[in-house]
Amino acid sequence: MYSLLDTFISWFVLIFGVGAPLYVIFKAIGFNGFREITVYSKYNTFLYRVNPAIKIVFAVVIMMVVTTTIWWIGAILTVAVLSLYITLEHGKRKLYIGSLFIMSTLVGSLWGYAPFVTYSTLSVVFPHFTPDVIWTWPSYFAIMGYQHVLTLQALKYSFQISFRSTAIMASALLLVMTNTPSQILRTLHRFHIPDPILFSIMVAMRTVSFVLEYLNESIKIQMMRGLGSKHSKYLKPIFFFIAAMQGLVPTIIHIMRGGKDTGISADTRGFRATKKRSYVESVPINRLDYYVLAIVVVLIVMDVAINIMGFGRTIPYN
Amino acid sequence: MSKAIEINNIEFAYLGSSDKSLSIQEFSVEEGESVLITGLSGSGKSTFIQCINGIIPHIIDGTFAGSVKIFGTDTKEMKVPEISRTVGTLLQDPERQVINYTVEEEVAFAPENFNIPAAEIKEMVNNAISSVGIDHLKGKETLKLSGGELQRVALASVLTMDPRILILDEPTSNIDPEGTNQIFEFLRKEVGKRTLLVVEHKVERVLPFIDRVVVFDQGKIVVDDKKENILNDVTLLEKLGIEIPENMFLAKKMGLESYDIETVSQYIYENKIALKMPERKKGGELSLRTSGNVKYDTGFDLNFNLEFKSGTITAIVGKNGSGKSTLFKGLIGWLDDMHQAVSDVKIETPEKVIKDNNIAERGKIIGYLPQSFDLMLINRTVKRELHYSRRVRGNSNSDSDIERITKLFTLEKYMDTDPLMLSQGQRRRVAMAATIAGGPKIILMDEPTSGQDYYHKKNLGDEIGLLKQMGYTIIMVSHDMRFAFHYADRMVVLDSGKIVADGTPEEVFDSSEVYGLLPPAEFSLRRGIIV
Repeated sequence: MYSLLDTFISWFVLIFGVGAPLYVIFKAIGFNGFREITVYSKYNTFLYRVNPAIKIVFAVVIMMVVTTTIWWIGAILTVAVLSLYITLEHGKRKLYIGSLFIMSTLVGSLWGYAPFVTYSTLSVVFPHFTPDVIWTWPSYFAIMGYQHVLTLQALKYSFQISFRSTAIMASALLLVMTNTPSQILRTLHRFHIPDPILFSIMVAMRTVSFVLEYLNESIKIQMMRGLGSKHSKYLKPIFFFIAAMQGLVPTIIHIMRGGKDTGISADTRGFRATKKRSYVESVPINRLDYYVLAIVVVLIVMDVAINIMGFGRTIPYN
Repeated sequence: MSKAIEINNIEFAYLGSSDKSLSIQEFSVEEGESVLITGLSGSGKSTFIQCINGIIPHIIDGTFAGSVKIFGTDTKEMKVPEISRTVGTLLQDPERQVINYTVEEEVAFAPENFNIPAAEIKEMVNNAISSVGIDHLKGKETLKLSGGELQRVALASVLTMDPRILILDEPTSNIDPEGTNQIFEFLRKEVGKRTLLVVEHKVERVLPFIDRVVVFDQGKIVVDDKKENILNDVTLLEKLGIEIPENMFLAKKMGLESYDIETVSQYIYENKIALKMPERKKGGELSLRTSGNVKYDTGFDLNFNLEFKSGTITAIVGKNGSGKSTLFKGLIGWLDDMHQAVSDVKIETPEKVIKDNNIAERGKIIGYLPQSFDLMLINRTVKRELHYSRRVRGNSNSDSDIERITKLFTLEKYMDTDPLMLSQGQRRRVAMAATIAGGPKIILMDEPTSGQDYYHKKNLGDEIGLLKQMGYTIIMVSHDMRFAFHYADRMVVLDSGKIVADGTPEEVFDSSEVYGLLPPAEFSLRRGIIV
C-alpha cells in the first residue's frame, strides 16, 4: 500500500528535481549573477583576444571529447574550463556563479534523467546488474514516463552522463562571456548560416537576460502578493517553482510584445538589404589563436588515446 | 520644395479585423518640414507611420489600399530596406531597439546591412555619433547605458544612413527628463535639415520647433494645421484628449497672439490674474518610516531617511542612476545581496518594524505596481486576479471590499476576461486594482505614466486621487514633471544617491533645474503669482 507520506515524498522528489536548479539560479545566483555569466563584458585577458571561431572549434572539440570518453574525463574538463573563469573580469565571482550554475545543471540533469532510465539500459551499462531499489514511485507516475522504481544504478548512471552537458555548458558560457554576439555572428556568417537565423541567435542572446529579469520580477511580485506565505519556509522552493510556472505566460507575452518592435527596428535599418553583410570590425587570427588550436589538437589526440586505452564511451561504466 | 511624403486614399485594416485602423484621403509633407503627430493611444498614429516606413504593407499583414509615395516613389514598389535608406524610424522603447553589445556595433548595424565597406562605415558611425552628441559613449556596452543614453544610441543608429525623412515615434516616453531634454535639443538642431515626423504626447515640448500639427482620432486625421494657427484648435484638441499646456489655454482665453510662457506670464503678472496651485495635502498620521543605506560594489551609495503620511501622494524624482529604483527595491526587499552590500533598509509602520528582506512580510504592508505591470497578471480572469491575494494569503478583504475596488477601477464588465487580453489602459487598471485588493495601504508605483497618453494619465491621476482620499499612501517614481505637479502633494528629489530636495512640488520646482528636472509650464506660469 502506498501511504500518503510516500506520495508526498515522491512528489517532493519530483518537484525538487525541477525546482532546486531553478531555485539556485534565481535565489543563489540571482538575476544579476545569471546576467554576469551570460553576457559579454569588456576586459583584456588572453581569452578575450582569442578569435571566436577558434573558441567555437574549442567548444565543439570539448563536446566531442566528453561524449566519446568516460565520464570522469568530462568531469575533469568541466573543472578545467571552469577554472579559466578566474581569468575573466570579476573572475572570482564568475567562477563562483559559474560553479553554482554548473552544479544546478548537474542536479537538473541527474534528476531529469534518473527516473526514466530503463532496466534494459542499466543492464547493458552495468555488468551483472542487480537493481538496488531506493524508491518506488506511485503507479500513476508511469504516465509521465517514470520507471516503476528508482535504483542506485540509475542515479549513478545519470550522474555520470550529466558531465557530458556540464563541460559543454561551461565552454559555451566562456564563449558568450568573452565575445560580443556580433563577433560570434560574424564568425558564423563565414560558415554561410542564413542571416535571419543569425539575427534570431543575436536577439536570443540579448533577450536571455531580460527573460530572467522579467521572470524574476513576476516571481517576486507573486511572493509580495502572498504566495506561499501561509506555509512553512521549508516549502519555499516549491512555491518558488509554482511562481516561476505562473510567471512564464506574462513574461513571454511581455517579451513578445517587445519582439515586434525589435523586428521593426531591424527592418527599418536595412536588415536583409543585401545578401552579403559587411562588418566594421575585423576579427583576425593571431598567434594566441594558434596556441589554442594546438590545445584543441592535443584534446583530439588525447581523445583518441583515451579510447585506445579503453576509457572511451564504453560500457561498463564502472 | 518637393514633396517628401504624399498620401492618397489610404486605408488599412489589420489581419482578422474588419474595422479600418487608418483611413486618410489626402496628406502630404514638404521636404524639410517638421510635423508633430499626436492623438490618443490607439488613434492610428503608429499605423500611419508604419505606412510611411513601409512596414505596412510589406511586413504587417492586413488589407491595404491607396498609395504612399516617398519622394515620388510608391512604397509598394520598394522593399523595406530600400525605403529605410530614405526613411529612418526611431521607436519608443530603446531597450527593444538596441540589439548589439557595444555602441559602435549598434550604430554600424544599418550600413553593415547595406554591405558598405568598413572604412566608410567607420566614418558614417563617427558622424552619426557626433551628430547626436554621444562621443563620450564610444566603446561603452549598451547594456550598461541609461535609458536616455540608449535612446540616443538608437537615434545615432537610425541616422547613420543619413535618412532624408526621420520619424520619431514617441522617442521620450520611456526615458528620464535629462534624456528627454537631450532628444529635444537634438530635434531643435535638426529642424530644416531633414523632414521630421515627431509622434509625441508632450505637445508642450515639441511645439517650439515644429511647423505643423497633425492630430489623429479613430484612424483619421482630424486636425492638420500650421503651428501658428494651433490656438484656434485648442478646444477641439482638449476634447480629443490631447495634452494641451495651460499657457495655450490662457493665451486663447486672454486673446493673446503668442502662447509662449514668457508672454502669458507677463500678461498674468501685469493684469494681476490669480492662478490657483493644485491643492497639496499634508496628510494624516504617519504611515511609513524608512531609513537605509545601500552600497553597490560599483561605489554607488544610497542613503535615505524618509517619513510618509497616510492620504498623501509622493513623487520620487531624479535623473537615471540617482537611486530611485534602488530606493524602491530596498523598500520592498528586492535587493540582490550578491551584488549590493545592503545595510539597514528598515521599514517601520505604526504597527510593526521590519528589518529583514522578507518579501512576503513587506508585501503585507506595501503594494508594488511595477512599470511592466503585465508581469503581475498571472490569472486567467480579472476576477481571479483580484481575489489572488485573498486566496494565497488569506487577508482580511471581504467580497464587498473587492467589489468596491472593482467599481473604483470600473472593471465590472471585464471580470471574466483574461487580463492579458485587455488594452494597455485596462491592464494597468487591473494591475492596480489587484495590488489594492492585496490589502496594503502603502502603494509604490514605478513610472505609472510611462508610455501613457494624456487621457490615460488623467484617469490614473483621478484614481490615485481617490485612493488618497481613502487614506492610502501613494509613493511613485516618476519622470513626468507635469503629472507630479498636478497630483503629488510632495516631491522628493534624489541625486547621486542622496535626497537633495524634499517639499511640495512648487518648493522643489523652484530649484529643480539644477538636477536636470525642467518644471512644467503650469509651474512656470505661477512662479511669480502664487495663490
